Amino acid sequence: MSFAGILLTLLQGAGYTLLVTLACAATALVVGLGIAIARELGGAWLSTLLSAVVYVLRGVPMLVLLFIIFFGLPGVGLDVPPLLAMMLSLGLISGAYLSEVFRGSLAAINPNEVLAAQSMGFSRLATLRLIKLPQMARFAVPGMVNELTTVLKFSPFAYTVGIPEITKQAMALVATTMRGIEIYAAIGLLYFGIYRLLLAAVRLIEKRYSIPGFAQE
Amino acid sequence: MALLEVKNLVKSYTDRTVLDGVSFELEEGEAKVVMGPSGCGKSTLLRCLNRLIEPTSGTILFDGQDVTRPGVDVRELRSRIGFVFQNFALYRHMSVLDNVALALRRLKKLPRKEAEERAVHELHRMEMADKRDAYPAALSGGQSQRVAIARALAMDPKVLFFDEPTSALDPIMVREVVTLINRLYLDNVTILCVTHDLGLAKHISDRVVFLDRGKVYAEDRIEHLLARDADPVIDEFFGGEG
Repeated sequence: MSFAGILLTLLQGAGYTLLVTLACAATALVVGLGIAIARELGGAWLSTLLSAVVYVLRGVPMLVLLFIIFFGLPGVGLDVPPLLAMMLSLGLISGAYLSEVFRGSLAAINPNEVLAAQSMGFSRLATLRLIKLPQMARFAVPGMVNELTTVLKFSPFAYTVGIPEITKQAMALVATTMRGIEIYAAIGLLYFGIYRLLLAAVRLIEKRYSIPGFAQE
Repeated sequence: MALLEVKNLVKSYTDRTVLDGVSFELEEGEAKVVMGPSGCGKSTLLRCLNRLIEPTSGTILFDGQDVTRPGVDVRELRSRIGFVFQNFALYRHMSVLDNVALALRRLKKLPRKEAEERAVHELHRMEMADKRDAYPAALSGGQSQRVAIARALAMDPKVLFFDEPTSALDPIMVREVVTLINRLYLDNVTILCVTHDLGLAKHISDRVVFLDRGKVYAEDRIEHLLARDADPVIDEFFGGEG
């Protein structure tokens, strides 16, 4: 196979890697945010229940959950498409981790600001939406970047359910060309490129919403 | 009829009683200071009055309405009481203008332009209009307190509560804030202020409610309190001043 052919195959794989990463990251964001908000607004009972769910999810190996969903659920009549299986495994586990990042960020908010909002007559929901969440999002950026990176690095598991992402393409190429060092080094560089791309996007958003002196207080 | 009438207010926790039958009145246009040793229940009293803390028993009549009875719209009550906190409690992620305009837009439902005009008016009153686009991190303590007062006044409250408004400030800024609150007092703004600061109490108050161990120990004009002879509780608190 020509160099251009190899490159094209790897770039196709990179597209799938990006798709899996973004789909799982979006799932993680929705799950993490949902858990954080439910813990804030729900009572002690709901908070305890969600803590237990988060505890379990953080302890389950990602591949095991993926196999349960993709290979196990068809046994009870539920066929889950590969990308959805990734979202329900990697996305869910990552969401559990993100919910902890959000919990820490919420705890960093000055309680007097919350008290001030409540003393003006804002409801708990309005206080959460207007005061807590905008600050939480800014505090959580470093943790979110870490989690996004983790999602990217776990995305190769998608090959186990048949998604032709970079690692799967690379394995196929190595099998036909026997040029393992070059091809695996090349996909290492591609992963790094995708990481830098995602980081640049996050930094752009961070800069857009930065507030003078906010993090220095 | 008094604007605020507190009758036999009690706040108890499982292991202690913080407020033990507190009663006093606040007339419209009056400025009253609540003083007393640390832990005597001053801040708890303020927070009970706008139901940030639920009182255990007693009655609070505000503007003729019993606000302790079940079914009272607590958020509506709070929107009629301005509250200025010890450490300003400005929203760090919002500009000065947004800090003041937020409640006008979201609670009073004013259009953005009208809310901002009103916010700028209050900032002018506090001599802070030139800082409208600044963020709280860039403000001094005195400036932050001015914005906090503007934020409370913007809602056109019936009464303004101050919780230790000068305790987080250096002496120069204390003078600045005392002058400011004194101006509000002279403008007939109804004020209830919790403070340790004798200077502030002398400048802004008609009468002082002196709390000790959760009870009203004395209520009098500040000069009369200071002139009391051989009162160990008052003497210990004021340390022989006056």
